[in-house]
Amino acid sequence: MKAYSIGDFEELVLLTVAAQHDQAYGVSIHESLEEQLAKAVNISAIHVALKRMEEKGFVETRVGGITAQRGGRRKKFYVITALGKSVLDRKYEVRTSIYKRIPKIFFGS
Amino acid sequence: MTPRPPRFFLHFLRWYCREDYLEEMEGDLVELFEKRAGQNLSKARRQFGWDVVRGFRPRNLGFKLSLSNLTFMLRNHLTIALRVFRRDLSLTSINVAGLALSFAITLLILQYARFEFSYESTHPQASQIMRLTMDYLDGNTVVTQDCETYPPLGPTMKASLPEVEDFTRAYSLDRLLIKVGEETFYEDKGYAADPAFFDFFHYPLIEGSIAGAFLKPHEVILNESTARRFFGRTDIVGEVVQILHSEGELGLKVVGVMPDCPPNTHLPFNMLVSYPTMTASFGEKDENWNGNNTFTYIMLRPGTQEEAFQVQLEEFNKKLVAEEKIENERVIAQAMEDIHLYSHKTFEAEPNGDANSLFFLLLVALLVIVSAYVNYVNLATSRSVERAKEVGIRKVIGSTRSQLIGQFLFESFLVNVLAAIMAVGLIWLGREVFLELTDLGADFAILSDQVFWLMLVGFVLLGVFLSGLYPALVLSGFAPALVLKGKFSRSGKGLWLRKSLVIFQFAVTLILLTQSFIVYQQLNYMREKELGVNIDRTVVINGPALDSLQKRFVPFKQSLIQQPQIEGVAISGTVPGLPVSDMNTTTGIHLADELNPRNNNFYLTGIDSAYLSLMEIKLLAGENFQAGNLKGRNIIVNEEAIRQWGLQSPEEAIQKTVKFWGRKWQVVGVIQNYHHESGKSAHVPMIFYYFDEFSEYASIRISGGEVEESLALIEQTFESHFPFTPFSYFFLDQRYDEQFKADLQFQKLFNLLTGFAILIACLGLFALASFVIHQRTKEIGIRKIIGASTRHIMVLLTRDFIQTVMWAIVIGLPLTYWLAEFWLTRFPFRFELNAWVFVLPALAVVLLAILSLSVKTLKTALANPVDSLRAE
Repeated sequence: MKAYSIGDFEELVLLTVAAQHDQAYGVSIHESLEEQLAKAVNISAIHVALKRMEEKGFVETRVGGITAQRGGRRKKFYVITALGKSVLDRKYEVRTSIYKRIPKIFFGS
Repeated sequence: MTPRPPRFFLHFLRWYCREDYLEEMEGDLVELFEKRAGQNLSKARRQFGWDVVRGFRPRNLGFKLSLSNLTFMLRNHLTIALRVFRRDLSLTSINVAGLALSFAITLLILQYARFEFSYESTHPQASQIMRLTMDYLDGNTVVTQDCETYPPLGPTMKASLPEVEDFTRAYSLDRLLIKVGEETFYEDKGYAADPAFFDFFHYPLIEGSIAGAFLKPHEVILNESTARRFFGRTDIVGEVVQILHSEGELGLKVVGVMPDCPPNTHLPFNMLVSYPTMTASFGEKDENWNGNNTFTYIMLRPGTQEEAFQVQLEEFNKKLVAEEKIENERVIAQAMEDIHLYSHKTFEAEPNGDANSLFFLLLVALLVIVSAYVNYVNLATSRSVERAKEVGIRKVIGSTRSQLIGQFLFESFLVNVLAAIMAVGLIWLGREVFLELTDLGADFAILSDQVFWLMLVGFVLLGVFLSGLYPALVLSGFAPALVLKGKFSRSGKGLWLRKSLVIFQFAVTLILLTQSFIVYQQLNYMREKELGVNIDRTVVINGPALDSLQKRFVPFKQSLIQQPQIEGVAISGTVPGLPVSDMNTTTGIHLADELNPRNNNFYLTGIDSAYLSLMEIKLLAGENFQAGNLKGRNIIVNEEAIRQWGLQSPEEAIQKTVKFWGRKWQVVGVIQNYHHESGKSAHVPMIFYYFDEFSEYASIRISGGEVEESLALIEQTFESHFPFTPFSYFFLDQRYDEQFKADLQFQKLFNLLTGFAILIACLGLFALASFVIHQRTKEIGIRKIIGASTRHIMVLLTRDFIQTVMWAIVIGLPLTYWLAEFWLTRFPFRFELNAWVFVLPALAVVLLAILSLSVKTLKTALANPVDSLRAE
């Protein structure tokens, strides 16, 4: 299987997309990330990450309906694909398997 | 109403964003904005703008930025430029080094000039301030111009001329002996000033307040460093300083402390005394129209017309003459901003600068930088043969002419930027030498000055366009078909231009070389001129400030004379080497039986009977003062004085009577003219009268042996006879030499500039020659095979250039002769211009040219023809 590359920030965004399944869009991801990371995140960075992952096939998009908010602009929702999910699974596996190999380390009393 | 995001950024986003991203991006950004606006509207607007800016990245753009195209082109230009540089590494480095050197020199000279032009700029009112000065007249000719004026002049003028808003006087108080606590100090830079002084000159007080100050006598304001010198601190308002003067001690109350004077003012000082002190304690009178000892400044009302004021001033003069306040004199006004560079009157507060020298330096700096640009043009165009094929190919591929011009300008830009970077390094290395040469003081800002960098950028841009444009136009103008067929030959026109540029450079070199030679000769001539007075091994000491101590001079002299190492002691009102303005001046002294008297200015000072023999001043006729014999009525005059009186021989003058200072005087002796100031200035008419009070100077001639020892002895003797008086002294020969300080400094600066100009010209010639010769390598190989000798080839290669240099000499010589005559006119005593002064520099120029050529020609002439012909 080809190793799909995914950056750290992309991974965070993809996790958020998966967590907010079917309801994730720019602002909601932004809000969640700022809350989780407890630091300022620029929305443009999120947009770029989403576009790149869309090109890689990790996410799909669907367009929402028109509302009075957002200057009348429609939302673009992002949905994780099977490929995206498998990439996340693989990442998780690798991390946990390495993590589990950490012996019990004591740092003094 | 819902808040709206900033329109400008919204439009910007819509402009740049690609169609398929816009809906999402705009929607998200606006939603985010709406959410944030609930908390802090202005912050939300800022964040929105920032988000829009952050979104401006290639991925989101709705159009293709041609940036990649541009960078590709620039990268290509850079590659080609670097290749060209590497191919002719030595030539390029010469080019860059020459430019860097001339950037550095020109920038430093400009900094110096800016400082000289910045005088009085710290005083915001400066443009409205005029200084009044006196012209002494003989009929309609001006005999002397004197900076100092009569005390009532300012008040009178303010009262009678509506244009004059206010006035202030600055009455010079020199050699004040000051006592603070138990310590005594000499203070040479003090002035008595009116309260308005602080409206004229911008010195906001650090301590105390100017309101209400200086209206009463016995008030003083010190500057910061003087306050520290006297008291060791600056919070001294209310303290008292004592002035020791002829009538005893005089207490002055400190009312303020001001900042130190900036270096760029014509009137620096350390302390100011309230003007009423002059009338209260220094014997000055408010209606004194006889002694002019004060500077007077006036402030004109805003909007006063210069011409109108001059007319008023003329009327004012007529009125003063009619009221018999002045005679054979007139008051003139000069702009305060012009004083430093354009005023050369007697009794100036400080030695002033000289606009002529400054413009001369600027001109030379300009020539240096033009010379370096010329080198660039020459080298770039002479390279044209090599670049022609490249241009042809580029054109065939589809390059437009403007693109080619861009390319060559880019190369020129690269060279100039490299040079600028090097120049900054050079300036950093040379700044200390420069500051010392120009006497600017160690804390003068060069690299930390903003204008410096602006000028540097300006030079680079100027360089790019001045030196880059012509080669760019020439090189980009080649017709591709001709060039690629190989039918390219050097155009005659370009050759002609290169030659004229070389002629220009060498003419400049010749002129600079001759001028610095002449400056050197003239300075030497003046410094080594027979002075007519012996200044060797003479210590001059200042007299005690208190009159009561003066009677102790006789025992002081007695005990000194007894010492074997002391040859003599004499008293005088001034000494040679000090400015003539240190003497008294009186106009209109003439023989008692003169029928049509002239109104010339005479310089008077007192001497005792030992003075003439101590100074070895030659008596031409008559005799020295005889102590005790009618001494109060006798005078000794110099040759210049009797010349002005129209007498033919010194003997004729003896026993003549003249009248001045309200009584009759008899001439008993005539001395030979000697250079009182230095060999620089013309002889002035001088009158010596008898004077044996030790209030000014005593000159002591010491015999050979240890100078230090004798000096210690003099000091010891002085202190035992004159307690409470600081011992201050100078050596006469040193004082004489100090007068040449400015000239020597100018000479050094000028020599340095000349050296660099010559270096740059030679570098240019060397580079040009090596290039031209490089192109003729094959020709020379063939010539050698046919049988040309090394000498023959050397001559062949050098002849062209030497011819050019000869043209430069033919053009440069008349110019330099004219310049030399012009420069020498300002010296009353000048050395004789002779042919050598011109021949030697001309020979030197030819020699320099041959030298810079020979390295390359010799190498080529000696080369084995096989090497040059083998490769095809």
